[in-house]
Amino acid sequence: MTHGDRSLSRRVDSGPSPRGGVAPAQLADVLERVLDKGIVVAGDIKINLLDIELLTVKLRLLIASADKAKEMGIDWWEGDPFLKRGDQNGALEDRLRRLEAAAGLEPADRSEPSGE
Amino acid sequence: MSDPRAPLPGTAYYTYGVVPLDFSSAALDGAQGLGERPVEIVTGEKAAALTSVVSLDEFGEEPLRANLNDRDWLERAARAHEEVLERALADAPVIPFRLCTVYRGREQVLELLSERGATFAELLDRLRGTVELGVKAYLDRARFLEAAGAAPAPASPSGREYMLRRQRERTLDEEREQFKAECGRSSHERLAAVALAAQANPPQPPEVSGRTDEMLLNGAYLVEAAHGALADAVAELEQTYGPRGVSYELTGPWPPYNFVPRELAET
Repeated sequence: MTHGDRSLSRRVDSGPSPRGGVAPAQLADVLERVLDKGIVVAGDIKINLLDIELLTVKLRLLIASADKAKEMGIDWWEGDPFLKRGDQNGALEDRLRRLEAAAGLEPADRSEPSGE
Repeated sequence: MSDPRAPLPGTAYYTYGVVPLDFSSAALDGAQGLGERPVEIVTGEKAAALTSVVSLDEFGEEPLRANLNDRDWLERAARAHEEVLERALADAPVIPFRLCTVYRGREQVLELLSERGATFAELLDRLRGTVELGVKAYLDRARFLEAAGAAPAPASPSGREYMLRRQRERTLDEEREQFKAECGRSSHERLAAVALAAQANPPQPPEVSGRTDEMLLNGAYLVEAAHGALADAVAELEQTYGPRGVSYELTGPWPPYNFVPRELAET
């Protein structure tokens, strides 16, 4: 993810974190707030609240089930320009595999529900 | 455009949120905002709105629907919206609006301020001197297993060893889920105790959080701006739960998104 230069540096990051230094707010945190929270006043230009709600649902879905769905051969999001996003999932998978290997774990069985 | 009240053809007023009358415009120096022009403060009798003149080609009803479904556009808009509010927050309390609240013209923004001014002013008074902080907690699975005494896998396990290990892992999975729930709850309680208000949101899945560790707490806390109590509580929690693989991430200060009413009350 790239998001240009950001002079605001009020982000605080506590404790030892793999991401060193001050990071800009994570996109997920920003979207969660601007789409899902904040006061709703009726503007003149209507975006259906449903549209916004659908967006947040999409964001959660995106991704919540990408691994699982892919394993099951479901890849509907590949055709959805909103959900299509480089190889982020691939990179995550790799990281996960490396971590699992380092921890001496069997690769997780991702067809099992992981709980809420 | 047949709307007789539309002042500038082809443009509209994007509204980020509301600030008190004593807000200093200097806080917005350098803020990019949406649209080409600088952020404009529209001042009513009891409160002021932060706005940008935007093009209807981009923010009209139809284009907006398409744009919201374009991830890159959405990211740009969300970050610009957030940046304007964050800069404002450095100077004064703000009431953050939901993304893409758009009015036809300045006149309509003034109408909003005159109809809802009293409610805004009252809410701003309550928010003065406070900020929202976010605390997320993650569980590092490997560290949790290590703390739980799980033996590392032998290089070439026998069939029996393998079965035993699988069984042990399943038990550990259950323990882990239970631990996550307990740790999430008690962390939130501890943090809520030092906050003016608290809100626990659903944990983000790893693909959304961008981390492989499982999120067990996604909390928002309204605190006094210059108060370190929340950070202290986070440090304390890290001492308690760190050895079991939990790490905490403090974010903010945020505009109080989680602490404004979802709907505006009638005045």
